[in-house]
Amino acid sequence: MKNAIKIIACLFLVFTFTTAVVKAEEWSVPASAKKKQNPYEASTKNISSGKKIYNINCKSCHGDATLGNMLPLQPVAPSDLGSQAFLIQTDGEIYYKVNKGNGAMPTFEKTLSDEDKWMVITYLRSFDQNKKASKKIAEVINPEVNDVRILLDINKEDKRIIANLSGLTKKGDRVALQGIELSIKVKRSFGYLDISGDDAYTNEKGEVNVQFPEDLPGDREGHVDLLVKVTDDAYYGEVNVDRIASLGLPTDPVNPLDERAMWGTRANAPIWIVLSYVGGVISIWGVIFLVLFQLMKLPKLAKTEE
Amino acid sequence: MNDLPKQKETTLSFEKIKEDILRPMQNHKGLELWIAFLITVISVCAWAYYVQLRDGLGVTGMRDYVSWGLYIANFVFFVAVSLVGMLISSILGLLRIEWITPISRIAEIIAVAFVAVAGLVIIMDMGRPDRVVNVLIHGRFQSPILWDITVVTTYLVISVLLLILPMIPDLAICKNELKKTSPVLKKLYNILSFGYINTPSQHKHLHKMIRTLMVIIVPVGLAIHTVTSWLFAATLRNGWDTTIFGPYFVAGAFVAGSAALVVAMYFFRVSYKLQDYITDLQFDKMGKLMVAVCLVYLYFNLNEFLVPGYKMKTGDDIHLKELFTGHWAIMFWSSQLLGNIIPVMLLVTKKFRKPLPLMIISLFILAGAWIKRYVIVIPTLLHPHLPIQNVPDNFVHYYPSAIEISVTVLSFALALLIITVLSKIFPIVPICETADNNGIDYKIDA
Repeated sequence: MKNAIKIIACLFLVFTFTTAVVKAEEWSVPASAKKKQNPYEASTKNISSGKKIYNINCKSCHGDATLGNMLPLQPVAPSDLGSQAFLIQTDGEIYYKVNKGNGAMPTFEKTLSDEDKWMVITYLRSFDQNKKASKKIAEVINPEVNDVRILLDINKEDKRIIANLSGLTKKGDRVALQGIELSIKVKRSFGYLDISGDDAYTNEKGEVNVQFPEDLPGDREGHVDLLVKVTDDAYYGEVNVDRIASLGLPTDPVNPLDERAMWGTRANAPIWIVLSYVGGVISIWGVIFLVLFQLMKLPKLAKTEE
Repeated sequence: MNDLPKQKETTLSFEKIKEDILRPMQNHKGLELWIAFLITVISVCAWAYYVQLRDGLGVTGMRDYVSWGLYIANFVFFVAVSLVGMLISSILGLLRIEWITPISRIAEIIAVAFVAVAGLVIIMDMGRPDRVVNVLIHGRFQSPILWDITVVTTYLVISVLLLILPMIPDLAICKNELKKTSPVLKKLYNILSFGYINTPSQHKHLHKMIRTLMVIIVPVGLAIHTVTSWLFAATLRNGWDTTIFGPYFVAGAFVAGSAALVVAMYFFRVSYKLQDYITDLQFDKMGKLMVAVCLVYLYFNLNEFLVPGYKMKTGDDIHLKELFTGHWAIMFWSSQLLGNIIPVMLLVTKKFRKPLPLMIISLFILAGAWIKRYVIVIPTLLHPHLPIQNVPDNFVHYYPSAIEISVTVLSFALALLIITVLSKIFPIVPICETADNNGIDYKIDA
């Protein structure tokens, strides 16, 4: 019996690890996001506040860091966030994953503040035995700007959207802002569809270049509502621009209420219901009127007998 | 069915039948008092209805949770009772069962009165009765409401025809015999007797029409209570969301209708002195019939509660516990025990099928049937699908207001008034059919 449990446990672990690896490959992080670095220093205070945030938001699934007591979820168990295999990633990669989530891992983009997320990463880094703290990758540092704007250049021919993020320096020059993530979204019935792709960080020209999907339906004329915004408003506040662009496939909207159905208006009643009602009424009332008509004959019958 | 010895038919002659049945129509002793009482009740309660019209449905106990209260329970009850017309005069009539002859007209009068008032009850339940026409103008074929309005009207019309047509020979007699009645009634008898003089061809013609009506009232009668059940069953609520509601309601209607008929039979027998016509035989047979319909209803009750009770889905669980052991337990069990199980146990013995005991049992069955309707309508509504928080207390608990109770009394008084008036101006026991059954020859003068 004990052996059986051990075998099952082993199989389970093998299975979870293999699927974890498979899954990890799927979880690609754009190169520009990897470059991000933790702006907070690894002070005792930061580590302990990171631990608090970790205990509230991460521990329930990932368990205690380094102890490996995470939830045995299927098909992919959560990683031990204190393991060296995990900490081999850059700060930017962890930050990206915390932000976006994947599968059972929820997104923390809106639920945790930027600072909190970095604090957790500071805390996790404290388990890193290599302490390969900050492999210096040249970080994008944008000049201090105000009046940040997104300019949209929409190419209808090949359905490309080029968003340009720029700001005004103190000297009055408009400069491109680099390495900022943009979200490019299309409005649908409920909420937005994100078409940004994985690597929607502005390049050195301040541009993000996105291919609009070929098969996205628009309205009758092919219009779609575009919304482009700076993903993380910690940088420049809320910066967004919306635009109606005729990039979608012209589609005749189908109103489900137009079809014959149980619901909807009387005109849309299913034919079988109309037939049973009308048929029933006509046949029953037909008989009633027939009887009434026959009743009128009754006095005449008395006379013909005499 | 004819296992009992024939009644002492030798003592009956056509003259005696005529005299016995027409006597209560001329003898008004105590009747004015009763009608005056009913009219007083109706006018007092009509004031309550006027208040409801003036101030809106807010004067009732109905709120966001319970939007169908006492009125709808009454409606279902009235429709149920009215189904007795179809059961007695149509189904048993088509089977050529003779003992129903003296009571078939009472059954038909009850049917007419109760279905007419059932239609009114629905209008009384509306905050804006002037909009009832909208159901016909804008109603959808998909909606059970449109079907309900159609079928209630149709059933009323057929019931009226089934009351009047078999009465044509009797009305011809009334026309000749009741010399002292008011000119209005004389004119009514004259019109409604359609020149009937009982020639063989007239007899044949009339009975063909009656049989046609008896056949078509069966589907309409089944439809009226089935469609009423659809009003509930088409709603996705625990306690209502069941496919068995149609037959379940029809079975319950036969119970309520038979009980109402027995009560009416007893009162007509005593106050009209019709012991020679509504005999112990009729009560005995009605008692047996009630055992049968009660058992069918019991079977449907088992289905209605055992199946969800076995599955115990969360919502059903709450609903059934409330019925069985919770807040509604007293009403539920009293309706089941007093209105169904105990009557069946009593009525299998012969001495409880005598007129008085049967009438008392029928009163219990009738009360149980009404409580059952209340328990079907209200507890379900008190468990809304969405847990709504911080609602006023009178949303969570429903108690009928004085206005609602008065309007309910109004509807009952109205039904009794219709029965009283109809039984006063029309012979309550068929004269010619009774003579036919006893092999007595008779002639009707022109």
